[in-house]
Amino acid sequence: MAWQDVKKKVKRQISEILEIPGDVALDLPKIILFGNIQFYIENHRGILEYSPERVRVSVGEGEVLVEGENLILRNILPDELCVEGRIFSLRFD
Amino acid sequence: MFLFKLISFLLGYVTILVTGDAPEKLINMAASRGISLWDVTRTGDGGIRLKVRVNAVKPLRHMARRTRCRFRICSREGLPFYFARLRRRKALALGAVFCVGVLYLLTSFVWFIEVRGNEQLSSAELLEVAAEAGLARGVPKWRVETGVVEAKIIERLPLVAWTGVYIKGTKVIIEVAERTLPVEEDQQPAHIVAGKAGLIKEVLVVSGHPVVKEGDTVVPGQVLISGVIPAVEETAPGTEPESGQKPREIKPAAYVHARGIVRARVWYEGYGEVPIIEEGRRLTGNTETRTSIKFEGKEIILSGSKNIPFEYYEVDTLVKSLPSWRNLTIPVELITTKYHELADYRIERSPEEARRLAEERALQKALASLSPNTRVEKQWVEEVQTGNVENLVRVKAIIEAVEDIGTDKHFKP
Repeated sequence: MAWQDVKKKVKRQISEILEIPGDVALDLPKIILFGNIQFYIENHRGILEYSPERVRVSVGEGEVLVEGENLILRNILPDELCVEGRIFSLRFD
Repeated sequence: MFLFKLISFLLGYVTILVTGDAPEKLINMAASRGISLWDVTRTGDGGIRLKVRVNAVKPLRHMARRTRCRFRICSREGLPFYFARLRRRKALALGAVFCVGVLYLLTSFVWFIEVRGNEQLSSAELLEVAAEAGLARGVPKWRVETGVVEAKIIERLPLVAWTGVYIKGTKVIIEVAERTLPVEEDQQPAHIVAGKAGLIKEVLVVSGHPVVKEGDTVVPGQVLISGVIPAVEETAPGTEPESGQKPREIKPAAYVHARGIVRARVWYEGYGEVPIIEEGRRLTGNTETRTSIKFEGKEIILSGSKNIPFEYYEVDTLVKSLPSWRNLTIPVELITTKYHELADYRIERSPEEARRLAEERALQKALASLSPNTRVEKQWVEEVQTGNVENLVRVKAIIEAVEDIGTDKHFKP
């Protein structure tokens, strides 16, 4: 995987030099949190698990885990996702 | 988001319950195919409830088969479904149409007539004429011809110089402009009597018989120009007036409405006093407003501070309560309280200054009692001495004015 790492490093450096936002160049998710009540993610790859306590969202590499209570998926679009409820934690795996 | 919801409502959407081993798979697949889902919640028994537009249900069915999920439609919402429901409830639809129809019908009648601009004419008179021309309450609007009504009003009421009739919704406004007619002269016999006491300066008689002359002092109510013209009597020429013989009457006595101007000197007095050392409390101009709502004895302050920041103050309270209906009163009041700050003050004046101020006040009072159209001839002030020394300067101002003191007074001959 060395070649992959080099490729990624070059990509990041180029995007830093050109000041291109990460979600465009590096295929990273763009996450907006409104306090602890709303979680909004752009550029996701699908839902891996959904329950009122846990939402796991697949992103370009790895996944994002949102934990809380009474979570609902307010809106699902091909690359947008909005979760509402009481959010306790947000983790990247 | 609102636009999205609106479009969903217009197109129609359904709430479906997805059951199966991995409902997430179905969600992912739907999302990746461009089907938007919203309000996804997990139900207690492992199912997922979500909302989706009605045109996406068919592709969703295929995906459910592929992901081995099952789904069931729980409820249908949105405009197309409401219409379908309405089609089944014909009476309701008919009622709605009927309601709109009645509303439209009722708006095509004249319900209110407002008359504007009439001062001498009564509104009832105008309405009567308008009714003759076919404008009355309850008449259909299409039958009202404003031009005809206007012409009729002009024709029937000569006092009206111009009129405009406008229809505004269910209200008709009749606007009139009246002619001003010359005031008819009063022909009733009348005296001119003194309105106030004074010293007669000049008497100018237009009609009537003068009773007073220049230099006379008159009291209020005294006849100045009499409406009774005495008979002119004369003895026959060439003959000596004999005692016992009645002189010949040339002109009999007549009764007229006396007219004329009687100017007299009138004095007005005013009194003013100013203390040399003045102490008291007065408003500083600082105010504090507090708004509160009173509900069953409890007062809740909405705005304004709880503690009044003034030592001395005047309170001005305005209570607004809701109108009561029958014997029901709503126990809520809006109270606006204004606190005006007061402060102590002390002014020390020199006697001259106090005198000047007192004179000013006295003159002002005297001038205030003056009637309009009065010529001020002379004015002077004099200090009132009470004999003992006190902290007060008293001044009396006298204004001498020349004015017409005559007023009409009718009498029965």
